[in-house]
Amino acid sequence: MGEAIVVTSGKGGVGKTTSSANIGTALALLGKKVCLVDTDIGLRNLDVVMGLENRIIFDIVDVALGNCRLEQALIKDKRFDHLVLLPAAQTKDKLALSVDAMQTIIRNLKTQFDYIVIDCPAGIEHGFRVAITGADQAIVVTTPEQAAVRDADRVIGLLEGEKLPPAKLIINRIRPHMVKNGDMLDIDDIVGILSLDLLGIVPDDEHVIKAANQGEPTVIRPDSRASIAYRNIARRILGDSVPLMNLEEDAGFFRRMRKLIGLR
Amino acid sequence: MAKSAKSTASAGTRDLVTIKGIRNGLVFVLADDASFTDVLTELENKLLGSHQQLLSGSTLSAYIEKGSRELSEDEEKALRYVFAAHGELIVSGLNGPPPLKDWRPKDPYVYKGTLRSGQLIEHDGDVVVIGDVNPGAHIIASGDVFVMGRLRGSAHAGAGGDVLAVVAATYFEPLQVRIAGVVRRSPETYTRAAEMEFAYLEGDQMAVEKMSVLAQHRMRTRSSHAVI
Repeated sequence: MGEAIVVTSGKGGVGKTTSSANIGTALALLGKKVCLVDTDIGLRNLDVVMGLENRIIFDIVDVALGNCRLEQALIKDKRFDHLVLLPAAQTKDKLALSVDAMQTIIRNLKTQFDYIVIDCPAGIEHGFRVAITGADQAIVVTTPEQAAVRDADRVIGLLEGEKLPPAKLIINRIRPHMVKNGDMLDIDDIVGILSLDLLGIVPDDEHVIKAANQGEPTVIRPDSRASIAYRNIARRILGDSVPLMNLEEDAGFFRRMRKLIGLR
Repeated sequence: MAKSAKSTASAGTRDLVTIKGIRNGLVFVLADDASFTDVLTELENKLLGSHQQLLSGSTLSAYIEKGSRELSEDEEKALRYVFAAHGELIVSGLNGPPPLKDWRPKDPYVYKGTLRSGQLIEHDGDVVVIGDVNPGAHIIASGDVFVMGRLRGSAHAGAGGDVLAVVAATYFEPLQVRIAGVVRRSPETYTRAAEMEFAYLEGDQMAVEKMSVLAQHRMRTRSSHAVI
């Protein structure tokens, strides 16, 4: 029996889809059977980020309405052994996917896969309700901005209302030099407000945008910091204890000296 | 009626009007066995004369206990007129003090955990949060608000108009605080004290003080309620 993880944030544009794609891929790279589920009906993106857009025939709404079998809608990603995508519908109405139908789909998927990663739409309306139903675990993605943290807080409150275990937090798009100058929220500040366990921190990385445009998740190549960050997150999901990434880019001689004598 | 109309006069004649202090006002017990005009005169005398010093200037509720006496419309008007002559007294009822439960302290509501954005606690009485109150969260209490944690959201104490209510928090950095009808927000450059603080009303102004001052605040506000 697999585990369903919903990736949510409240606010749009903080990196839900990118995180879903990369966490799913990283789990697949670690040898798990993974199914990515896009629940953003009408604004599907996960297929684009994964580079599987041209292979969609059936989608999640077709499965929900009984137009096809679940297996027919699953798109196998040939770059990996066990990674499939259940795409969202682009032309149908958001309300076409009901809570009950979603629960059935997730229950079915859980019998076939180790991990089901659900990409949640932005907002806290119907789409959100549908996406979190059937999930066993939630990951909340936020960025070091007041608005994103506020929305994440709201979503965490709503998740607490469901019978989910406490959500895990990913802080995305951290710019270390801005944090250091005090222009960006500190990781400790964010964790202090949201009071959640930190699953990982992901530095702002141009590789992510480049990779997404090329239709391949960043984690495929282990040459960027964001890629390492997502791989660490996947390992933490599997239960490994991996220390948080050190965001200080280059310590430099003087800073190391000052640290050594306790000046920080 | 006789048992509540306690005799205080030494000359053996019973007081036609007995004044008793209760928690939230004064009770005027009118003797049953006297003519209404006598009672009214006695009441006027008491309010103007010997008992005037008891009225400390703050507004009090007056509860009239008319006993088994039937008041005609004119009599009631005359009675209200006597009280109206004293700005500090507001006639709140003609049938004695309110039943006990109305002014018994209300049960506080205790919330354990983080109160998050979009969540609301609304309670008739005090509210205690053991945990943080995040920005975007809202507490509305008819009594006091106590936060054992960071108060970063909005808190409204004394929502029913109680100007004596306070808002207290271990880390006092609220977006907005209201006490009764007064709204304040944190100044932009507010350096947080290293100890628990509370906000209270000082006239129309809101003030923030250390927790150790709360007892004094309570004392002062209580003493303004004249209890006879």
